[in-house]
Amino acid sequence: MNFNPVRALATATLMLLLGAGCQTVNTTETAQPAFQRNMVSEKRVITDGSLARKVQILGVNVSDGPGGFLKVQAEVLNTTRRYQRFAYKWEWFDKDGNLVEGPSSVAVIRQVEGKESLFINGVAPNPSVRDFRLKLYENAR
Amino acid sequence: MNRPLVSTVLVVATAALLGGCASSQATYVDPAGTRTLSNVGEINVQDWNMASESMINSLISKHINSGSLKGSGPDGRAILAISRMVNNTSIQIDTDILVKKIRVALLGTGKVVADITAGLGGPEDPLAAEAKREQQFLGTQKVAGRPDYTLSGKIIENRTRQGNQRESTYVFQMALATRDGLAVWEEEKTITKQGKRAPVGW
Repeated sequence: MNFNPVRALATATLMLLLGAGCQTVNTTETAQPAFQRNMVSEKRVITDGSLARKVQILGVNVSDGPGGFLKVQAEVLNTTRRYQRFAYKWEWFDKDGNLVEGPSSVAVIRQVEGKESLFINGVAPNPSVRDFRLKLYENAR
Repeated sequence: MNRPLVSTVLVVATAALLGGCASSQATYVDPAGTRTLSNVGEINVQDWNMASESMINSLISKHINSGSLKGSGPDGRAILAISRMVNNTSIQIDTDILVKKIRVALLGTGKVVADITAGLGGPEDPLAAEAKREQQFLGTQKVAGRPDYTLSGKIIENRTRQGNQRESTYVFQMALATRDGLAVWEEEKTITKQGKRAPVGW
């Protein structure tokens, strides 16, 4: 097969373009963690399949402190090999299902490297909060 | 010359020009959402939101939810006064954008009340301060004394540039101190933004 410089250059450029933006993360952790997470069963309502394919929620755990404020932690995984931006927002509800609004219920932008997982935390605005909802947004700046 | 073609082009051009006139109409966006504008050289709504969210979450989870809060106010609530907020950036900002969000959130916890008669630049509410002085003088009603906690902070800016890429970093620092002057809670939130400089600009 003859060497075609144009084809070689095009292939190299394509490889470079495909490789650009791919910075993945390898993670190490203890085999037997010293903690026990109180994982909660969740109901997922997915309306954007594109975002769900890129950024997945691995699990959600909750805890209560002495002050009675609900604390929620969600583990999020970037399933792609590309750097992704997304935003999240917590919504809090009291025992009657009423939305508890506050200055901390805002969209927070996060970035995650390829194959990286990270935790997002939320704290209820007051002790009357008994439930929560986590919203994920795509195309955050 | 093809008259129908010229007429069509004229109609399309007029429609495009008129359509352009409508673009000055304002659109409402949710300030708590992701559609607000942001740029590199300023602290935008989204930055204030993220900084306050981080501070509120930290203050609640590290100090209030842990049961460390001690108060001498009504129903055992802690009395908070706002101390100095230093703006160490090159831009003019009103730090109340951040402080008010934190105050609103703390009041919403039901564990903290804010003293608006105490402040470095004078009372926030002069009438309330006068009424409090009267009550203290007459002794007819129990009046809250000194604040249990004071909240202070600083905003720092760092700018850098590489080629036509610009980067701004804003560091939000806050501390909560007791009457003894001991900081019982401190937090720092860093927000970094990057953007490209326009090829032609003033």
